[in-house]
Amino acid sequence: MNATQRPFRLRRHLNKLRWVSLSLVFAMLVLLPMIAVYQNYVAAHAYDLLSADEQRFYDLMERLTSPFAADPAEDLDAIKGTTWAGRFFGFKIGDPLSALGQVAASGTLYWPLLLSVLIPAVASLFLGRFFCGWICPASFLYELNTGLGVLLDRIGLRPGRRHLDRRLKYLVLAVGLGLSAATGTVLFAAIYPPAVVGRELYYAIALNGFGTGAVFFVATLLFDLLVARRGFCRYLCAGGALYSLLGRYRLLRIQRIPPACNDCTKCNVACEFGLDPMRDGFGQECNNCTACIAACPTDALEFKVAWRDQDYQGPGHLGRRYRHEHGVAEGEPTNDRENA
Amino acid sequence: MQRRGFLAVSIRWLGMSLAAMLPFGAARLLAPASASAPRARPGERNYLRPPGAKQDDAAFIRACIGCGNCAEVCPPRCIRFHARDGGERANIPYIDAEARACILCGKCMEVCPTDALKITDRREVDMGIAQIDRAACYPWVDKGVCGACVSICPLGEHAIGFKMWNQYRPIVRDGCVGCGLCVEVCPHPSKPIWIVERGQGSVARHKV
Repeated sequence: MNATQRPFRLRRHLNKLRWVSLSLVFAMLVLLPMIAVYQNYVAAHAYDLLSADEQRFYDLMERLTSPFAADPAEDLDAIKGTTWAGRFFGFKIGDPLSALGQVAASGTLYWPLLLSVLIPAVASLFLGRFFCGWICPASFLYELNTGLGVLLDRIGLRPGRRHLDRRLKYLVLAVGLGLSAATGTVLFAAIYPPAVVGRELYYAIALNGFGTGAVFFVATLLFDLLVARRGFCRYLCAGGALYSLLGRYRLLRIQRIPPACNDCTKCNVACEFGLDPMRDGFGQECNNCTACIAACPTDALEFKVAWRDQDYQGPGHLGRRYRHEHGVAEGEPTNDRENA
Repeated sequence: MQRRGFLAVSIRWLGMSLAAMLPFGAARLLAPASASAPRARPGERNYLRPPGAKQDDAAFIRACIGCGNCAEVCPPRCIRFHARDGGERANIPYIDAEARACILCGKCMEVCPTDALKITDRREVDMGIAQIDRAACYPWVDKGVCGACVSICPLGEHAIGFKMWNQYRPIVRDGCVGCGLCVEVCPHPSKPIWIVERGQGSVARHKV
């Protein structure tokens, strides 16, 4: 079958858009420390004292940033920080988990911090775990890691496919909050991958090399590879737990259209979080990443505005099981891909 | 045969694991020598929290979320982190004044998302107070004239000045906020000027 015969549907290309978004966020996290170093050089007013390499770096950064910033010392301060906490054109935006962890650790409410996490928190109420799928810099690396797992599988090294209890991450969240309160430190800063990735990139590029967080992150990559696909996000991520809870009654959901579905299971294979789109099993873990929509050969998955998932709507009408159950003859119109 | 298969798989997994660790190891090896690990350790000389930090260090650690924004906006890049320390200090910022001192520009206090760093007037900042070892400082032991610490001080004569009788003997005054620029600039190899906590007894001697 020729793919161009199918009508253009924007939702099937959202997954590419998502990759653009993830790549952009990651590129920013690499670029921002470089900008910080460049600003240090500018502030020092000592171009002649830089080494040859540093001068080349200075020239490169000057060429990159001069169209956007007349005064590097001030103008380049517009975007600073990471997804954990940062400043975006005068607005401070932070991860809801950072505020939650800080409240637990210090036992006091600091309103500016709570205000800065308001936008992501409210967005999660409507969009669910969209942060995990569309923004998280660790997700970017974890998904590449999944791709590595596929390659390893091809050369005969089977990645782990264990199933743990999904509720484990809520335990991690609760225990993390308890330990934060008990020890008086914001523990999540050290065990929450997006925070770790953003910070370690800064350490590596602007300061004196990776810190211990990099070891932790490599361990999570190995966990994903050896134990369970995307295991950390699914079973252990405290931020994922928080976003899942916030997004339990999210309004934007992916839903299946049974008349268009042929029960091919491609969506279930594509879902990195091991959910069950084919049987309407999305739940609060779904991060609206649209990988299942992109994988669906019959465009049977689409975004709906609803505050609850559908219960299982029965087998897809284009599938063999539905035809068998409803006595539809073999000659009736079916999806031509199935017969190919 | 089975044993051989197991061996092969083990070796392959070991190889992959080592390859996965490579980025970290390579980064440590390639880290520039000039930016080596900090010399000062907690409780030692010239080891400061950023300006505007909570006075109680435990409260500061409770409030800090380890985002690193303070360092990212710091023009002299003086703010470092306990990047490879464990425990409660993990990812907490500090300033090693001997390596690079604070210029009191206030950007870190402005960008801090929490109340770990409070916006403070530069004269109200309290990172500590400088202390001079009069048994080593060149003018104090009559080994020449210097005045580097006095001329670098961003707060002027409220913070540091010369002793009245001898124009080149530096005296720390009450207005010193402990930014550490004098420590960074001091030409003496043993750094006979350093930052101590305000109220530590020996400083009072310096009042004229």
